[in-house]
Amino acid sequence: MERQVKSGKMVVRYVAILHLQTVFLLGIETLAVLGHAPTSEAPRQGPHFTSCLSREQETFRCWWSTGSFQNLSQPGALRVFFLKENSISRNWTECPDYTRSVPNECFFNKTYTSIWTSYCVQLRSGAQNVTYDERCFSVENIVHPDPPIGLNWTLLNVSRSGLHFDIMARWEPPPSADVKTGWMTLVYEVHYRERNSSRWEVLDLEIGTQQSIFGLHTNKEYEVRVRCKMRTFRNFGDFSESIFVHVSQIPSKESTFPVTLVFIFGAIAVAILLILVIFSQQQRLMVILLPPVPAPKIKGIDPELLKKGKLDELSSILSSHPIYKPEMFHEDPWVEFIELDLDGMEAGEKMGCSDTQRLLGVGAQLGSSHGLGVKDDDSGRASCYEPELPEADPDTLAAICLAQHEKGATSLLPQSNLSATTAGGTPPDPDPAPIRDPIPCPTHRPESRPLVQTQLSTHSWINMDFYAQVSDVTPTGGVMLSPSQQSRVTEKIPVEKKEGQDAQVPEKENVGEQQKKAEGKKRFQLLIVTPEEGAYTSEVDAQKVSSGYSHEKSCEDSIPQTIQPPAKKISQEACQQLGGPTGDYQSPYLLPPPIPVPPVSDYTVVQDVDAQHSLLLNPTTTVTATPAPTPTPTLTKPSPAMAVGYLSPDLLGNLPL
Amino acid sequence: LEPQTHRKGCGCTLLLWLSLGSLGYPLDCKDDQGSITRCTSISQDKLLDRVIQHAELIYRVSEESCTLFEDMFVPFALHSQRNRGGNMCMTKSFAIPGSKSELQQISDKWLLHSVLMLIQSWIEPMIYLQTTLERYDDAPDALLNKTKWVSDKLLSLEQGVAVLIRKMLDEGVFTSAEFTASLERYDVQLDMPDSVLRDYTLLTCFKKDAHKMETFLKLLKCRQTDKFGCFLF
Repeated sequence: MERQVKSGKMVVRYVAILHLQTVFLLGIETLAVLGHAPTSEAPRQGPHFTSCLSREQETFRCWWSTGSFQNLSQPGALRVFFLKENSISRNWTECPDYTRSVPNECFFNKTYTSIWTSYCVQLRSGAQNVTYDERCFSVENIVHPDPPIGLNWTLLNVSRSGLHFDIMARWEPPPSADVKTGWMTLVYEVHYRERNSSRWEVLDLEIGTQQSIFGLHTNKEYEVRVRCKMRTFRNFGDFSESIFVHVSQIPSKESTFPVTLVFIFGAIAVAILLILVIFSQQQRLMVILLPPVPAPKIKGIDPELLKKGKLDELSSILSSHPIYKPEMFHEDPWVEFIELDLDGMEAGEKMGCSDTQRLLGVGAQLGSSHGLGVKDDDSGRASCYEPELPEADPDTLAAICLAQHEKGATSLLPQSNLSATTAGGTPPDPDPAPIRDPIPCPTHRPESRPLVQTQLSTHSWINMDFYAQVSDVTPTGGVMLSPSQQSRVTEKIPVEKKEGQDAQVPEKENVGEQQKKAEGKKRFQLLIVTPEEGAYTSEVDAQKVSSGYSHEKSCEDSIPQTIQPPAKKISQEACQQLGGPTGDYQSPYLLPPPIPVPPVSDYTVVQDVDAQHSLLLNPTTTVTATPAPTPTPTLTKPSPAMAVGYLSPDLLGNLPL
Repeated sequence: LEPQTHRKGCGCTLLLWLSLGSLGYPLDCKDDQGSITRCTSISQDKLLDRVIQHAELIYRVSEESCTLFEDMFVPFALHSQRNRGGNMCMTKSFAIPGSKSELQQISDKWLLHSVLMLIQSWIEPMIYLQTTLERYDDAPDALLNKTKWVSDKLLSLEQGVAVLIRKMLDEGVFTSAEFTASLERYDVQLDMPDSVLRDYTLLTCFKKDAHKMETFLKLLKCRQTDKFGCFLF
């Protein structure tokens, strides 16, 4: 309670004192303001204090100037009095020490210096009747420490590039400042600048006695200085002596070397990556960069021909193309066309393109156009495409037709074919089988022979009288002669036999038999020649066939379309042989009848294939001309139906049918 | 220069606040009545160091508060008042050594007691200052926080010094916590200029006294470590 009252009183007194001192303060304030005014205020200025400061917070000095009053310059003209705040005697005391060495300086030593107390100094005239100036201050507020000493620097490091370096600057506190006891707590401020720069770089206050400076440039000279002040006060002391820092750059390529290496390795790595990417994505890149160019393609032409430059073949193909040269059909007499049935063509294609099938006219159909009925959808399969295949079948069909209607004008071939077909696998009886007329033959007949000989393809089978018409081709490859005719297989075999064996004799036999049959019979007798028999035909059959056969006639008439030389030979020989009495002549050739059926050769023998891939059933070559075997390969190339026992048209013509 | 210093002061204050964490918790020896027997957990040197740290912080914060207040409310014309010193500061009822020579002459005991008295003399005014500063419309929060902080730290400083006295001097002292410190609220509504002047004076005077505390304690420490060197000056 008592304490409270006491404190309350203290507060009240405090406030009262404050109030009074406020007024006092204000009064002094104006004087102080005037006192601190710069000298520029008035040209004539009286004596005044210039500054009062302390260096170590233990003593302080005051300086004054006489101003423009020159008459007061002598010593003693001006006097300084001071007043301490807490002094017991409220008297102004004169300056304890007028410094002798320095004019106008009053020095207050330790005994007269009190900290945390305010002083007021007055500048009075000698007579003390005029107060020129007065100042009040507190000693700790006028402390300006001495500059630090011992400033030096050490190199911390140099950057890798050699362009920058860091240093550590060190100094000592001013000896006058009693830092050890804590009487003064100093903070330091370091400045540095380039040698020729006008602006100083100021670093933050440092309470220690060292400071690091970063980011200095090599080959440049720097100036460093330091100053200090009391920690919570604002008065800096003087700067220390400047020191100069200089670090020369060390020329070294080491810094650039790694960079160059890095660049080189980086480039190599990028290149490797690119190569890897390209190789891994090669296919796609190729497609993107080099789109595939569509190969040139012409229908029906094998690109191989184009590549290898077989211009001849190419031109032949082009020329034979129906689109390009349709008129060829009518111009070239040697051009034979095989009438092809589209359905049969398809069947033939499915079976695989054998030329033999093509030759035989896959599924030649009655009524089909004599033109080239080959489906022109061949995309380059030249091997399967034989535009110039002679239409043996239409001719044979025509021949058959003609033979049917003409007695003795029929060829053995159709007869044999017919007979073969009629036989149908059954052993041919000696008696001539009734000739069936499978073909609704057209009535156009007179030109049969000449047609046969001239081989006009235009009139095709209608005018041919010694051709058998193939109605269809079996899936196995056999040509079906219309109607109900023998399978093609049997005809094939004779071909093979012919090619592989020396079957001249049996061929002759067959031919002879066929001739005989053709001549002897007015009826078609189709004899089946079994391959096992070696294409032997029985004498009976031969007799049947050759009845009424005029030897001379048959022999005279050259075989217009004998392709096979052996066939020719056969025909020749057959003619010769058959020239004699039929019965006698035939006897040596009679063989046990294993059902020798003359081959169903309702087609002419292809002799040769010209350059245009057209089968030549050339009658110009006489029988005597080329008895020798003609090159078989040429014949095998188109592989025409070399059925043994072909009957030449002339022979057919001699048939007494 | 002043704002720069002020900013630096604020920056320093931040560090102070951070370091205050280490000092925030009371002294090991601080307890209800501060019996000597309990304070054996901390050494005297350590205690003295911590006390000195407290005093340093208080002084720096008070200086920052003073600067804040000065920038905010005090016209520039009156800034020179700082140079004037403590003309208007409250005269103490006890003698405080004013000069270094005086300090060197007084004993440790007197040093400690002086410090303690100084502290105790400012506990109440600081509380009063807190309340009066809140009356200002645009008083910055930093200022208010600082003054509040100072008030709190003064108490802890007092405790520490009391413990020191007990330890070093084997004396028992009364601290302000022992008796209820009821502040007699002085709610006299003075005019604004007067109020400003009054508060400004309070702040400057407190700053001065805080400096005194710090100096005294440092000198005491010096004497503890190097008695011979510190005495001779």
